Amino acid sequence: MLKQKNVLLLWAGLQLGILLLLQQAFSGWIIGVFLLLLLYRVDSVLRNRATLSLKWVNLLAGVVAIALFVNLRQAGVLHFMLQILLLAAVARLLALQHLYEARQLVWVHYFLIGCCFILHQDMAIAMLVFGVFLLNVYSHYRLFAPTGAQLNWPQTGRAVLIILPLWLGMFLLFPRLPAFWQIPDANVAATGLGDSIDPGSIEKLVQDDSLAFRVEFDGPLPPRQQLYWRARLYEEFDGRSWHVAALPRTAARYTAPSAEADNDTATLSYRVIAEASRQTSLYALARPLSTSANVRLNAGDLISAPKPVSQRLSYQVNGIYGPPALLSAQEQQLNLAPGAGNPATKQFAAELLQQYPQPAQLVQALTEHFRSQPFYYSLTPPLLPGANSVDQFLFNSRTGFCSHYASATAVILRAAGIAARVVGGYQGGQWHPQQNYLAVRQREAHAWVEYLDNGVWQQFDPTAAVAPERILNDLDAVLPQAQRDLLNAGWRQLAFLQAARQQLMHLDYYWSVWVLGFNDNSQQQLWRQLKQQLPAIAATIAAILALLLLFAGSYLLKRRVPAGLPPATMLLQRALRPVLLLKTPSQPLSVYLQQLAISQPQHREWLQQLADVYEQAVYADRPQALMQLAALLKHRRQQIKQLRSSIKNA
Amino acid sequence: MLTQLHKVEQSLNQVILGKPQQIRLALCCLLAEGHLLLEDLPGMGKTTLAHALANSLGLSYRRVQFTSDLLPGDLVGLNIYDARSQQFRFQAGPVFSQVLLADEINRASPKTQSALLEAMEEKQVSVDGETRALPTPFFVIATQNPLFHAGTSALPESQLDRFMFRLSLGFPDHQAEHQLLQRDSSRSRLELLSEQLNTEQLRALQQQVPQVKASDALIDYLLALVNSSRHRSDMLPLSPRASKAVLRAAKAFAFINGHDYVSAADVQQVFPYVAEHRLDPSSAAQDSRLSQMLLQQTPCPI
Repeated sequence: MLKQKNVLLLWAGLQLGILLLLQQAFSGWIIGVFLLLLLYRVDSVLRNRATLSLKWVNLLAGVVAIALFVNLRQAGVLHFMLQILLLAAVARLLALQHLYEARQLVWVHYFLIGCCFILHQDMAIAMLVFGVFLLNVYSHYRLFAPTGAQLNWPQTGRAVLIILPLWLGMFLLFPRLPAFWQIPDANVAATGLGDSIDPGSIEKLVQDDSLAFRVEFDGPLPPRQQLYWRARLYEEFDGRSWHVAALPRTAARYTAPSAEADNDTATLSYRVIAEASRQTSLYALARPLSTSANVRLNAGDLISAPKPVSQRLSYQVNGIYGPPALLSAQEQQLNLAPGAGNPATKQFAAELLQQYPQPAQLVQALTEHFRSQPFYYSLTPPLLPGANSVDQFLFNSRTGFCSHYASATAVILRAAGIAARVVGGYQGGQWHPQQNYLAVRQREAHAWVEYLDNGVWQQFDPTAAVAPERILNDLDAVLPQAQRDLLNAGWRQLAFLQAARQQLMHLDYYWSVWVLGFNDNSQQQLWRQLKQQLPAIAATIAAILALLLLFAGSYLLKRRVPAGLPPATMLLQRALRPVLLLKTPSQPLSVYLQQLAISQPQHREWLQQLADVYEQAVYADRPQALMQLAALLKHRRQQIKQLRSSIKNA
Repeated sequence: MLTQLHKVEQSLNQVILGKPQQIRLALCCLLAEGHLLLEDLPGMGKTTLAHALANSLGLSYRRVQFTSDLLPGDLVGLNIYDARSQQFRFQAGPVFSQVLLADEINRASPKTQSALLEAMEEKQVSVDGETRALPTPFFVIATQNPLFHAGTSALPESQLDRFMFRLSLGFPDHQAEHQLLQRDSSRSRLELLSEQLNTEQLRALQQQVPQVKASDALIDYLLALVNSSRHRSDMLPLSPRASKAVLRAAKAFAFINGHDYVSAADVQQVFPYVAEHRLDPSSAAQDSRLSQMLLQQTPCPI
C-alpha cells in the first residue's frame, strides 16, 4: 500500500489543475464527473478509508468512456483523446495501490501537462502550466525520496543554475524538426469576422476586447488613415445581407506586376502575429506583394492561412500602398448587382448619378450627404426589420455603425452602376511605442467600401465621413459617455489594473515573438549569425576559459589541497590497505608500523626498516627513499600477505 | 656535537633522578631558543634543574627570587651615580646572565613580571633610554607555584604565550627518591658537573635546529592540529605564534633524537607541553587534557 498520503493529495490537486487548464476540451457534465471522482479520492485519503476496488473503478471508467465516446462527434477527435487520457489518469488515481502504478501515473501527468500547450500558447497560461509541471516534479521527488528527506533548496537552486545554460542552448540550437504527426483540429467556434454581414439585424454591437493580431513594422508606423487591415471581401448582396462570394479566389495565386512596385516607392514591410481565430482569413494592408511561406497570398490582395488558424501564427508581408486592380470581368459583374428591394435607395442613386456622372464625384457627393445630413454613429442602432433595410437606414433611422454605412454606400454605388463591395477587416489599432508594436483588438473590427474606378478598386470609408474621429483617434473618442461605458465594462476603468494588463500584454507579446515565434527560420538565422561571428565567439570562449584557468591555477597555487597525500603515503596505503585499517586515525603511520613491529616479532626487522624508509620519504622528502620504499614494498609482498592473515586471525 | 649534548643529558640525569623526559624537553627548549616555565610545588627540584643546566653548559647563571616587592629595576639594573668619577654608572641587574632562574615568578607584581617578559621577547633591555643587549644565549627558566597558593598573581595569557614550554617535574618515583635519599646532597653533585659544551658549541647547535626538514605534508598535519583548536568554545585558540613554537620545538626534539627531519610523532610528543598552557592558562602543569583531546581528534594521515 502506498504510504505517501501527501502525494495522493498533491496529485488530486494536480489533476484538478490539468482539468481546469484543459477545460476548453471538456463540456460541463464531463468536468462535473471528473470533479466528483477527484473529490471522492480526496475524501477517502483524508478519512483514511480504503479506496474503490479495481473492479468498481474499471466499471466506472468504462461507463464514463462510453459516454465520452457517444459525445465524440460533438467534441471532436482531439478533445476526445484528451478526455480519455485524463479519464485514465483520474481512474488510476482512484485505484492507486502500488508504487509501480504511481510511476506510470507520474509520466502520464507529464504528458497531460504537455498537452495543455495544444490549447494554450499565451504566457500567462504557460506560467500556470509550468506551475503544475513543478508540482508534478515535486511529487515525483516525494515518491522516490527516502521518508523524512527534506528538499535541499540551495542544492536544488544550484542544480537549476547549472542546467539553465544547457536548457537555453537546447532551446536555441536544438534542430526544430517538423511535426511527426498531426493533431486533429478541435471543433471550436471561430472568432473574428464572419462570412456575412447583416447590419439591419444587429441591435447591439458586442465589443470584444480580446486581441485579434499584433504587428511589427520594419519601417515607421504608417499614418492612422492608412491602417485599413483587409481581411474579407463581401461581394454578394441579396438585398439585405452581404456574403463572401464564392469566386475561386484562393485557387489562383495572384502575382502583382513588378512595374507597379517600381512606380510606387512607398513600400510596406511588416510582421503580423495573428491570434487563433479558427478561420483561414488573415490580415493585410493595402497591396501585399509577397509573404512568408507559411501563408498564402490570394487574388484580391487578401492573405489566408492554408488551414484554420488554431494557434498563434506569425507571418511576414512585403507590399506597397495603392489600390488593388480589377481581376476579371466576372468580378466586376458580381459587384454590380444592387440586390432586390430598397427602391428609395435606388431612386436616390439614380438622382445622384444624373448630377455626378463620374464615380469620384459621386463618392464625393455621397460623403457630403453623410456629413451634412443628420447621420449618427452608434453602437446600439435600432433594428431594421423587413426587406428594405437599406432604405430604412438611409431615410429613417440614420443611426448605425460602420457596417450600416458601408452596406448602404455599396448599395447606392451599385445602383448607380459603379462596381462596389464591402470590405471587412480592422481599422487602426493601439500603438505601443516602447515595445514598438501595434495591437489590434476585435473591437477594432471595421467595414468599409471599395468601388471600381478606372480599373482599380478605390477605398472609401463612409464611416469616416460621419465620425472622422473614429478613424483618426480611437473608437472611444467618438462615442458619448454612456456608450463608452458599454465599451469599458467595470474593472477596466481601474487605472492600475489597466496598466498591469498592459504590461502583461507586452510580456505576452515578447513571449510570442521570442519564444513561440522561434521557429526553424529564426533558428537557421541564428546559426548563420553564429557562423559569421564564429572567430569572435571562439575568441571570447577561449578568453573566458583562459581566465578561468588562471583563476583556478592561482587558487591552487595559493592553497595546497589538503586532500592530496604525499606519494609515499599513497604507496604505503595501497600496499598495506587492510592492515592500515586498524590504525587509530590520530596515530602517525610510522608509529603504527613500529608498534606492529613490536607486536609481530616475526616481521620485526622489515617493518622497522619500512617505518624508517617511510619516515625518510615522507618527512625528509628524499626521492631515493621513495624509490626504496616502493622496492621494499614490492620485495616484501609475501610478508605483507602473511602479516595480513596473521592480523586477521588475531 | 650531538654526542656532547647527549653527554650533557646523561650528566643531568645523574643530578635529577628519574626525570629523563623532562630533562630532554628542557634541553629541547634551550635548543629551540625558547624559554621554559616550570610549574611545581616547592622542593621538587626546579632550581636544581636550572642550576645543573647552567653548569653543564658552561653558562653564567643567576637566580632571582621573585617577591611582591621586587621592582623592575632590581631585575634589569640601575644607573648609579659614581661619586669618584662623578658619572652615572650602569649597575647591571641579574637579567644580564645567560641562564636566569626566575623563581616563583607569580609572586611578583605584574609590572615586574612584564619587565622580565619584555626582556625575554626582545633579548634586550632599556634603562633610562639606553638599550642594552642581553648576553647570548639568553635562557629564562621561570618557576611558578600552582595558582591556588596564596599571594600569587597569575601570569596573563599573553605573557604565558612567551614561554615555549611549560613543564612539571612532578614527584620522583619510589626508586628514584630512594636513591636520592641514600646519596649525599645533590647540590654537591651539582658542583661536580663539568662544562661539557661551551657557549659557541651551544650556539652552533641552536643554529642547526631551524635547518631540520619539515615536509609539506607534516606542516599540513601541524596546521590541521592547530586549526582544530580554533572555533571552539572550550579552549583558547592557538595563535600562529603557537604553531611556530610547536614546529620549532618539534624540530629541536627531532634534532636531539638525531633526525634531520620532523616526524608527526615528534609533533605529537612536544605538542602537549607547548600547547596546553596556551589552550587553558589556568590548567595545572601536569594536566594535558585539552592538547591530548586535540591530538586524538585530529587524524594523522601521514
